[in-house]
Amino acid sequence: MFPGPTLLSAASAIVETALNQALEFDPAGRKALLAALTAPVQFDLTVPIALTLTLTQGAKGVLVGSQPATQPGLVIAGPAMAFYAMASGDTGAIKDGRLSVHGDTALAHQFQRAIEQLSPDWEAAMARHLGDVPAHFLAKRLRNSVKWSRDARQSMASNLEEYLHEETGALPGSRELEASFQDIDALSLRVDRLAARVEFLPQSQPASHLSSHPPEPPEPPEKQENS
Amino acid sequence: MSDQQTPASTATSGSQHDDVTHFGFRDVPKSQKAGQVAEVFHSVAGKYDLMNDLMSMGVHRLWKRFTIELSGVRPGHQVLDIAGGTGDLTMKFSDLVGPSGKVVLADINASMLKVGRSRLADRGYAGNIEYVQADAEHLPFPDNSFNAVSIAFGLRNVTDKDQALRDMARVLKPGGKLMVLEFSKPSNPLLSKAYDTYSFTALPFMGKLIAGDSESYKYLAESIRMHPDQDTLKGMMETAGFANCKYHNMTGGIVALHVGIKP
Repeated sequence: MFPGPTLLSAASAIVETALNQALEFDPAGRKALLAALTAPVQFDLTVPIALTLTLTQGAKGVLVGSQPATQPGLVIAGPAMAFYAMASGDTGAIKDGRLSVHGDTALAHQFQRAIEQLSPDWEAAMARHLGDVPAHFLAKRLRNSVKWSRDARQSMASNLEEYLHEETGALPGSRELEASFQDIDALSLRVDRLAARVEFLPQSQPASHLSSHPPEPPEPPEKQENS
Repeated sequence: MSDQQTPASTATSGSQHDDVTHFGFRDVPKSQKAGQVAEVFHSVAGKYDLMNDLMSMGVHRLWKRFTIELSGVRPGHQVLDIAGGTGDLTMKFSDLVGPSGKVVLADINASMLKVGRSRLADRGYAGNIEYVQADAEHLPFPDNSFNAVSIAFGLRNVTDKDQALRDMARVLKPGGKLMVLEFSKPSNPLLSKAYDTYSFTALPFMGKLIAGDSESYKYLAESIRMHPDQDTLKGMMETAGFANCKYHNMTGGIVALHVGIKP
């Protein structure tokens, strides 16, 4: 079965070393993450390959395992892309069900906060090998590059969205969509009410013959909003 | 290679005699095997770690890492590392059990134990580790003492493996786990050929070059071939009283990790 135990151990060893080295450059983040790991946290990747990684609090840092934990406090499962989205700051990955979460929700929140707070000092790491001045020079360039690429990505996404919605009209605008969905919801509600009334009519008919009062007219439809 | 495979049948016939066992491809009196194994390890103790890294190209660390992962050892546990040698597993167990637990590093060979103790002390491991010179067939511990027992690359050197497995079951607590990490039989015939060539040519050469002792590494290659294969060892564990026995082949079956639970 691929990957075998040897490869899995190699992968978990690499992740463990990288994670602990990164945490060395963020003492506060390391403390918060270790405090959050009150129970093992398990990540189950489903696509492209089935893979399990566990994070456990160790005496000298975070232990990364490749086997399912005996009693995990929290299990997060989903495809690799959803994990990447979560790591990139997309909080919607869990809300929209791309990632499933089982276990202690308090631990999940604490773990998420600890991950968000992580901010390793890469400049200090580079300064150890290159010296302060070259490290600062490189770090500044890297920070600017990262900021530029993030801004460019956001800008491109919003430009593309605007082009598709407003200029070509290939896709409806988000406000237009919301209004349509509200209309559909209101219509569905009225149809349900009407169906209930129609179903009630044969039962209430004999009673209405006996009564001197005519039956009540149906409620006027609600005034439609946003139409 | 055909010559190297024939001694298996020799060993089978040798095992029919109660007073004879194998030492590599040779038959020796049972009373002499422990002494001859001891000589091998006295000879290689100083360069043991370096040779392990060279011979396995560092992969032995991954095999041991997998063993630790499957151990399920937690803070407060009592762990026995038999044939612990230079303490690779003991170090990891010591981190896992914490100050409230205990790890016993046991080895029959005084030289290996000495190297292991110096190595662990140099790395700051103290407080939750005990060092015991002990024979795996006659473990000097009370019944039901340990949550986990491990023996890594040691069982093939034991004269009476069935007795050793029975004694490991005795010292384990009910529910405790035995882990046997040992060289085994590659499942792929091509890999098996390549592995044989490597074992019988490169290992003694490296032993001569690095540790100044080719005979000990020739014994290593021979003893691996004489060790029971995966299913046989699993059966031996079941006979010794372990339940839920299973094995995990690693690196194509060159090494296998056997796991059993004391019921």
